[in-house]
Amino acid sequence: MAKRKDIAIVAYGETKVTLKGGRSSYDLAGEVLEQILNQTGIDKNEIDGLSIAETMSETSNPFWGVYMSEMLGLSPHWMQLNGLGGTSGIGGIARAAAAIRDGLCETVFVVASDAQSSGRNPEQGAQRGEFQYPVGLRGPVGAFGLITQRYRHQYGLDDRALAKLAVTQRNHALMNPNAVDKLQKPLTEADYLNSKYVSEPLRMLDSVMVCDGANGVLVTSTENAKKLGAKKMIHPVGYGEISNFKGSEALADITVSGFSVAGPKALKQAEMTPKDIRMIMPYDDFLIALVITLEDIGFCEKGKGCEFVMKTDLSYTGTLPLNTSGGQISAGQPGLAGGGLNLVEGVRQMFGEAGARQVSDPRNCMVTGIGVIPYGRNWGVSGVLVLEQS
Amino acid sequence: MSDALNTTAAKAPAKPEAKKIPRPIPRPNTYMDTQPFWQAAKNGKLVIQYCKDTGKPQFFPRPVSLANGKRNLEWREVSGKGTVYSYTNTFSAWPGHEDRVPYLVALVELQEGVRILCNLLNVKAENVRIDMPVKLCWEKLSEDINFPAFEPA
Repeated sequence: MAKRKDIAIVAYGETKVTLKGGRSSYDLAGEVLEQILNQTGIDKNEIDGLSIAETMSETSNPFWGVYMSEMLGLSPHWMQLNGLGGTSGIGGIARAAAAIRDGLCETVFVVASDAQSSGRNPEQGAQRGEFQYPVGLRGPVGAFGLITQRYRHQYGLDDRALAKLAVTQRNHALMNPNAVDKLQKPLTEADYLNSKYVSEPLRMLDSVMVCDGANGVLVTSTENAKKLGAKKMIHPVGYGEISNFKGSEALADITVSGFSVAGPKALKQAEMTPKDIRMIMPYDDFLIALVITLEDIGFCEKGKGCEFVMKTDLSYTGTLPLNTSGGQISAGQPGLAGGGLNLVEGVRQMFGEAGARQVSDPRNCMVTGIGVIPYGRNWGVSGVLVLEQS
Repeated sequence: MSDALNTTAAKAPAKPEAKKIPRPIPRPNTYMDTQPFWQAAKNGKLVIQYCKDTGKPQFFPRPVSLANGKRNLEWREVSGKGTVYSYTNTFSAWPGHEDRVPYLVALVELQEGVRILCNLLNVKAENVRIDMPVKLCWEKLSEDINFPAFEPA
């Protein structure tokens, strides 16, 4: 597919991330909608599409999307529910673009909202009850413990690189007023290295803290954006996604992710190579995921991710700024809205509205998403979005 | 059990202890017919699915062959011999496993060419190595359920 700039993101919104904030996913989403309307001056009735992420807090309601429409007073001609975990936000943009191009709707509110830390997690069922829960794998923490151990065996793992990622992201979070209050304190390499093991070799500070929050963007055609008088716009120019990567291979290498497929696909569409990427907002449920993401997308060779991290300035003033709002690990993970946190930061940076942590020349940005913990494999969904200025 | 909880609650009324849940026990046939697996397990045999068209094994049980999408599957007993593909020492328990901390969770690669998520028993974390040979053993979780685990061979 040739690179196109016929689709635009014209606004973003984000709540503060809170721990057990007690507000519902509906209420949080309402705050994002208001921000977007205020930012653009666009009338609510222009929104005729809704792309919404599945949540931990509300997904037991099979009509979640329609309830959300009712809560927000929207009457979409096209609705999409994305159950892609942390890929739901960027996957929602790609699906919205397709729907707009096909004439199903014109202006889409792509929103993710979750009050996971205030609610109760729904049961995922399937094989878990018979073949996972009796073993006691500690969910994502346990799964990433297995991935980390295997990675260490195959390539060696430099703990200082993981510490650098933790510290870089924390320094960014300290400049982000939307980051969860509990994590608003400086972090050192020693803090990371001394952090206790939760599922050895995985440490507490390798992991996200589950919180509440919401975020979203407004997507329309570039033509319509101009008609609506949008003050700012950026364009999705490349997208790749894969679910259940190597899912039919019983002995697939668990250190290799679907980014090895989704990354090159998104870059090819965007007509870029990793060297062209100005900044990256990768999905960060665990620090090791960042290392694997950078490798599999092609920023460095497989197994050289730690070396790449050590020699690259990933701070907001650096050569490859990474998760400049702190990422989920230092800003807090707003449940299944977590994938939207780094997405919104990318849009904010490209609009030149990141304040103290503004990246210079924010001409493009790569955003990634990870979703779902499968049985004994690498993660379940990988998505890569490339955004570019006009 | 209930006495112990009552005592705890009496000592610290301001912070009642969370209700303790027992270790999860599999309920067969929840997402497909897995009865052959659990029936064999009860008799101390580990069986896994094979695709009769391609000869490929698969685990956990699926409604179709992962090789060709067809339902021409059969259960075959496997050797119970394998090696450790990866492992993690769990300090923060999954609900119902609190009494077992720390415990070892592993992906064991069976000789037959599938991986199984399991506990490693009768070995200390510091003595586990990736590629270490292991063999099948069983944990009796209930009158009806034997659950496969592995120990050093």
